[in-house]
Amino acid sequence: MATEAQSLSVLHPSRDAEIISNHVREGRFQRSLSLITAGASIVSGLEVAYEHYRGSYSRRIMYTPVILSAVLGAAAAAAVFSRRAARGALRIASIVTLADAAAGFYFHVQGIRRKPGGWHLPLTNIIMGPPIFAPLLFGTAAYLGLIASYLQREESRSEVADDGRDWWLASLLPRAEERALLSEEQDIREGRFQKQVVIVAGVSAILSGFEAWYSHYKNNFRYMAQWSPVILAPLLAGAAFASIRSRWFARTALPLCSVAAIADAGVGFYYHARGVVRRPGGWKHILYNILYGPPIFAPLLIGAAGMMGIMASMLRRSNR
Amino acid sequence: MKEPLFGPFREQGNGKHTLGPMQHIDVPMRRFREDEPVDYLIVGVGSAGGVLVQRLARAGFKVVGLEAGPFWDTERDWVSDEAGSHKLYWEDARITGGSDPLALGANNSGKGVGGGSVHWAAFTPRLHPSDFEVYTRDGVGADWPISYDELLPYYEQLEIEMPVAGPAYFPWGRPHGYAYGPHPMGGVGNALIRGCSKLGIPVCIGGPVAILSGSHGDRPHCIYRGFCIQGCKVGAKASTLITHVPDAIKSGAEIRELSMASRIEMGKDGRAAGIHYFDGEGRPHFQKAKAVIVAGYAIESPRLLLNSSCAGHENGLANSSDTVGRYLMAQAGNVVLGRFDELVRMYKAPPAHALSEEFYETDPKRGFARGFAIQTVAPLPIAFAKQMVAAKKAWGWGLRRELMDYNHWATFGVLGEILPWPENRVTLADEKDQFGIPVAHVSFNLHENDKRLIKFGKEKTFEVMYAAGATEVVQEARYAHLVGACRMGADPGTSVVDKFCRTHDVSNLFVCDGSVMPTQGSANPGLTIQALAARTADYLISQGDAIFTSNRRDMTPPRLRRGLAPPHTWGKGVPRLT
Repeated sequence: MATEAQSLSVLHPSRDAEIISNHVREGRFQRSLSLITAGASIVSGLEVAYEHYRGSYSRRIMYTPVILSAVLGAAAAAAVFSRRAARGALRIASIVTLADAAAGFYFHVQGIRRKPGGWHLPLTNIIMGPPIFAPLLFGTAAYLGLIASYLQREESRSEVADDGRDWWLASLLPRAEERALLSEEQDIREGRFQKQVVIVAGVSAILSGFEAWYSHYKNNFRYMAQWSPVILAPLLAGAAFASIRSRWFARTALPLCSVAAIADAGVGFYYHARGVVRRPGGWKHILYNILYGPPIFAPLLIGAAGMMGIMASMLRRSNR
Repeated sequence: MKEPLFGPFREQGNGKHTLGPMQHIDVPMRRFREDEPVDYLIVGVGSAGGVLVQRLARAGFKVVGLEAGPFWDTERDWVSDEAGSHKLYWEDARITGGSDPLALGANNSGKGVGGGSVHWAAFTPRLHPSDFEVYTRDGVGADWPISYDELLPYYEQLEIEMPVAGPAYFPWGRPHGYAYGPHPMGGVGNALIRGCSKLGIPVCIGGPVAILSGSHGDRPHCIYRGFCIQGCKVGAKASTLITHVPDAIKSGAEIRELSMASRIEMGKDGRAAGIHYFDGEGRPHFQKAKAVIVAGYAIESPRLLLNSSCAGHENGLANSSDTVGRYLMAQAGNVVLGRFDELVRMYKAPPAHALSEEFYETDPKRGFARGFAIQTVAPLPIAFAKQMVAAKKAWGWGLRRELMDYNHWATFGVLGEILPWPENRVTLADEKDQFGIPVAHVSFNLHENDKRLIKFGKEKTFEVMYAAGATEVVQEARYAHLVGACRMGADPGTSVVDKFCRTHDVSNLFVCDGSVMPTQGSANPGLTIQALAARTADYLISQGDAIFTSNRRDMTPPRLRRGLAPPHTWGKGVPRLT
């Protein structure tokens, strides 16, 4: 039976891998990507909630990413179960969150500018000011959500796969752009958007590597392990950007670097969590220690870049 | 790099009066004529005076603030240096005495606009509800004429205006939360947490302290460089100089700097008519006023009242009860120093940024009334050297060796409540200051309850220090803060002012500063002083012109006027429990 062949079984991991691989190749992974979006959104929401708490929410706009990540998380969770939610609520929530990430980037740049010395002292003020690229990295979950909203569902059987075309948004654009947008959408629906994802994965790796570099610099690179994301990020970014031109890189170096980045994220998460409970007061003052200990979820950012790298390596390239 | 990126730095403030790196006063100050009576003439623009000037000017009154010290331009006048910051203290001649004489100067007085709030540690715990009824509960000290609940809205209001950084939940007294997030811990704070956690004593981390943990309008957040009590050049630490005075000037108040008040002039109608003062060159002036508010703190306020004695007020102005100058209080401020094998580097944080009030309330088992708090204090090297001289009798080469060890020491402070006693008082001495005004004589004696409390508090703090891992612990006995000497009360026979800070004897004369506090609790008084000032201002505004024209005393409590807060107060801060 067709449905039986499509469902995963833990007993045959190699066949499961093949099914997943086929789903991704054909752009039929809306449910799984929505689930990942929901998880990523909740984690980045928690991260931004306590980071902005440290900044005392001294501007009301600092609440927006906290609220939006909850909204995006809920929309993505709904999208796991409903195609309607995936194409409606998830898409809107993702676009709004991306806009908020851009606004956050603007405010963080302004925050550095208005510090004494401003951009005359870029290194000092980037290190002491608001984390410059954090808002863009916060947009990662929203990007995944936006992609998910255009995909087909796992159980989709349609040969042509053009259901759910967003004519409305396209109709707002001039003729040529309208066609370009629709064909880009069609590529996503068919899993032919490898180039787009490698670019995003590469940029994300560079940004999170930069964040890791100056955050660990604040701690004087006291532990050797603190160099690992700084070294891995350019490797991953290099592999990703090479994959734009080369299909070979997308199949070999990219997944390799991506797996390394994900493993490093796991190690970093462990070390950060250990750093939190090692602080004075430990578990007794756990909330305070999460606030001022190493940022517990930050290592997962490089893992997100790695995850996008893996996803990209499984996708097809556009035949245009 | 010879030159910074993008060319040289912009000149600070563009020639305007600067307050920190980003804030400046860009409107010209209004000037009032001396022969035309202003509505309110306020003596002293410090913690209380700054708030009063701002509130009354914003409400539309003609207000002049007389300040004996200078109007600081922080970029020009302040230095980040311990020895260079002495001009922030009141160091004019005073005489200290009694069986336990107080050291006067650095930690209990200020001079210049902003007063003591310029060099306070900005630690702002509230009083507990029990502090307002000490006599009822424990049979010692005095009751306040107001309750905690009457002051509560003003605590909450000033905590937003400063604003105060601290934990989301503060468990002692009436539990509450703070507007800004807590600060990261320095080495001393970590030691206090470690010691208290080991002994099972609850500890409050990262506040309450009126230092910005996030930026606030044109004030940047704290950068943890350690020069808090030398005058914060960053502008992160709240002082009325930067929180309230700029708005006062925008609202049309005049701050008259370098003006030393010498005497309050009484009119024939038995009402205050104005103030005689000396300007910076020592020339005498007289400013007419419809009402006078004395906000000179616990020594200068009673000194001015005593120096203003005249026909009908032979013992000093507003002193028919003979309580002006009496019931002066300092808090026990023993400093307990512990040496650690690892580096502490106690300068790298606000000095006060963690505390425990677990021993604040009376416990009959301890054998004394009232209690104390344990707080972090982090002296810079000169203060540390003085403490080492006192604590270890270190001198010469031995002292140098101790000082080279500075980065290994952590210091906790006991903040213990000393009860109000009538013989602890401010009187006039025969000596005169540079203007020819008789100087204050301060007499201070400890009583049995105070001594027991200090002993217990000291021992408990030693315990915490050892539990934190110190290998050597020593202490210096000292006192902190200074309140009382013009206390408020319902009975004109035993107090100087009523619950709205109006003197019982003269209906247009007010005393509003730390000196009106009947008891002091074990909380640093700064927040309470500013809250009392905001409440008094609301009362004066609710009375309108009646203060200037009639002698009737309306005792209706005022409503809280949130609209009088300085701009940029609203729309900031974390969600909190209040």
